[in-house]
Amino acid sequence: MAPTYQETIAALQGFWADYGCVIVQPYHTEVGAGTFNPATFLRCLGPKPWKTAYVEPSLRPSDGRYGENPFRFQQFLQYQVVLKPAPPDVLDLYFASLEHVGIDLVRHDVRLVEDNWEGPTLGAWGLGWEVWLDGMEITQWTYFQQLGGMDVELVPAEITYGLDRLAMHVQGKRTVLDLEWAPGVTWADVYLENEREWSTYNFEVAPVDVLMRRFGEHEEECRMLLDRRLPLPAYDQVLKCSHVFNLLDARGAISVTERAAYIARVRDLARAVAQLYLEVDADAAG
Amino acid sequence: MPTLLVEIGCEELPAWACTEGAAQLPELCERHLGRRPDELYAGPRRLAVILRELEERTPDEWVKGPPEALAERAAEGFARRHGVAVAELEPRDGFLGVTIPGRPLAQVLPERLEQVVRGFAFSRTMRWDESGLRFPRPVRWICALLDDEAVEVGVVPSGQVTYGHRFTHGRVEIPSASRYAETLREEGGVEPDRAERFRQITEGLDALGGWSDPAGVLDEVVHLVESPIVLEGRFGERFLQLPERVIVTTMQSHQRYFPLGGNRFAFVANGGDPDVVRAGNEAVLESRLDDASFTFERDVQRGIDALAEALPAITFFAGAGTFADKTERIARIVDRLGGGDASREAARLAKADQASELVREFPDLEGAIGAEYARLAGYPEAVCAAIEEQYLPDSAGGPLPETEAGKVLAAADKIDTLTVAFELGHRPTGSRDPFGLRRAAIGLARLALEGGLRIPRALLEPEVRDFVEERLEGLLDVPVEFVRAARASDVPELGQVAELARVLASLPDERLDRLHTVFTRAHRIVAKADEEELPELRSELLHDEAEVAVARALSDFEAGAAAASDFDAAVAAAEELAAPLERFFEDVLVMADDRELRRNRLRLLADVRDAVSSRLGDLAQIPR
Repeated sequence: MAPTYQETIAALQGFWADYGCVIVQPYHTEVGAGTFNPATFLRCLGPKPWKTAYVEPSLRPSDGRYGENPFRFQQFLQYQVVLKPAPPDVLDLYFASLEHVGIDLVRHDVRLVEDNWEGPTLGAWGLGWEVWLDGMEITQWTYFQQLGGMDVELVPAEITYGLDRLAMHVQGKRTVLDLEWAPGVTWADVYLENEREWSTYNFEVAPVDVLMRRFGEHEEECRMLLDRRLPLPAYDQVLKCSHVFNLLDARGAISVTERAAYIARVRDLARAVAQLYLEVDADAAG
Repeated sequence: MPTLLVEIGCEELPAWACTEGAAQLPELCERHLGRRPDELYAGPRRLAVILRELEERTPDEWVKGPPEALAERAAEGFARRHGVAVAELEPRDGFLGVTIPGRPLAQVLPERLEQVVRGFAFSRTMRWDESGLRFPRPVRWICALLDDEAVEVGVVPSGQVTYGHRFTHGRVEIPSASRYAETLREEGGVEPDRAERFRQITEGLDALGGWSDPAGVLDEVVHLVESPIVLEGRFGERFLQLPERVIVTTMQSHQRYFPLGGNRFAFVANGGDPDVVRAGNEAVLESRLDDASFTFERDVQRGIDALAEALPAITFFAGAGTFADKTERIARIVDRLGGGDASREAARLAKADQASELVREFPDLEGAIGAEYARLAGYPEAVCAAIEEQYLPDSAGGPLPETEAGKVLAAADKIDTLTVAFELGHRPTGSRDPFGLRRAAIGLARLALEGGLRIPRALLEPEVRDFVEERLEGLLDVPVEFVRAARASDVPELGQVAELARVLASLPDERLDRLHTVFTRAHRIVAKADEEELPELRSELLHDEAEVAVARALSDFEAGAAAASDFDAAVAAAEELAAPLERFFEDVLVMADDRELRRNRLRLLADVRDAVSSRLGDLAQIPR
């Protein structure tokens, strides 16, 4: 019997907990990827080692298709692992984790194909790969080089598993909808209605005027919190700006020219937060 | 004499990094090891060289010191710096010096090899630890052997250990430098030689037969595997309803597969159980095609006319309006190009696919997707073909549209892009040409030259016209001065500029010389006087027989030759002007004392100059 979705997730949690990662939880504010969780973005700044792993529901409002296209969703689950600094055997560890969830590396064709990552709203980039399992991309792999516009002090490895695809492979299912989440319960049972309603919201209902206003308010609040030297609450406002931007984008309310300007506004905030985070962190240590 | 192996072991390098590394290694070896390598290996996990018959010691080196004449003052300090007694200094060519004895190769190798590893200049590098090394991906080991002796390189773990296939073989010890490749093949399960992998892969593809690689992924694939196996897969025939280019792009750009025609494809794996790997790859491709089909069907359901109606909401580029605006502009240009019904209909639908979901997913397939949607909506083939061909030629040597409507639409699209971009000040500078204006201009020129499309020069704003006609200079197989001369003419169409340049360039020297001499002379005389306002020609002031003859010849030229349909006739007509002009220059004093007379004669020459340059261009541009 192939493991259920939740068993695969539990297996990864177990593997990385055994390795010594701090297993944190999904963040409570909408994020587009596990990278945005402060357990990655902020913790990867500065000189302190850090190992963490967690599930992150990632929201991409533009990618939803009302649950009608079994290959497109506005929410998908990532499994995020960060090892800072990256140990020399980090790839071997990753491959061991695949074996741990039941992938036979000898029978399959597993490969690392160049794929570099850039997060313009975070002022961040890194080099890495997408990992192919018989041609299917199951993981994004990145050695961060810059975050918040600053060179990283210790180079972290970020391993982002596409949980849905990994589980599809493990269970031999063609679509996410058919994944067995728990015994007798499918992915569709858990999330299909969610896709319908959120796609409707993202594409048709989300109030553009209100979102526009909110973007400005979050930006303003972020600056206020920066002035009060509170980088963690300020960072939440960055995340909110980023999500509002994604929603406006899904609503088609942002033209190509405006796009760059919005991204630059979020990036400026992210940079300021990163710098303040380091200052406060150094003060606490000092 | 010993053999040296150096292998830089990496986490999976991108294909471009393998290529760059392999290209730089010979020079790096020459600089730091004194010799270019005898063998060179490159692949995703290793860059390696073998150098045979090395000298066992580095050569002795003579260090020049002070001149012998200054020995008393300077010799002692020099000797002390080099740790020898003054008596041990050797004279050579009037100087004292010291011989630094060569060192055993084994002793210098660690530092030399580190210099090699640090000496690469890749186009993109990263850091991964505190070593300070930069490389396109982390360097994890160095396998270095001088014959069978391991060489320690300080900067990463080094010795005689290398690694074969990640999952089937792992750690391998190389017994001696000269047995590197065979040991890796036998005990590592990998093929380190790029050329050999290339051979194996193409052999496998040939065995399947009928493979193609329109996007050119083969060179990358060779560096994506170290244990290549070529496999064939199939996808459900139901996907053949998708536009073929959507299928091919999905295969090639996402998956690096090779289309075999129909529903078959080839791919290259790096090991694994062929049946398992094939099934997995087929499922992945089918998922992607399923996804594309879903998108395709949604677009088709809306239909191309509804898509066209959505264009007012899509920006062409900042300041250039929406795609609906662009559509209107293109339609106007199509009319001015004399396009027929098919091109007018195609113009209306040309940009509709910008509103489709499929183009958002496959931006490179704009045009092809619109054409497919037009076909499905039942538009005539001439309209669909024109939509498909509107972006041609899309490279300097790429094919032109084949249909007349396609040519008209392709020209109209390029004229619009150039006009709008220049208006907004986006003239290309240096290597920056984000709107592809050079390509558009070359394409437009080729549509006139090779496509025979009649493109009125008046359709192009002066700046755009210059930019396009400058491209003609590079496209035509005649010296640029002839093109420049022809550009100065008033011929109404772009293609005629080229034709005129060719006619001028093909004139025999003696005929061209004669025309050139008389017309540049007229040109020069008028140029000297051009600050004077010249009144209209007054025939009653023409006294001299020679000037009367020129005036008569000129009106003959204007009446007859200017109306001539081809440039050969125009040249012949201009030559009729040469004899009277030659006599004029001999017999008539242009700079007469009488002001009226003088100005009338200057006017006559100016008229000749203008008539000829309007028809034949500015002959003075041509060096003689």
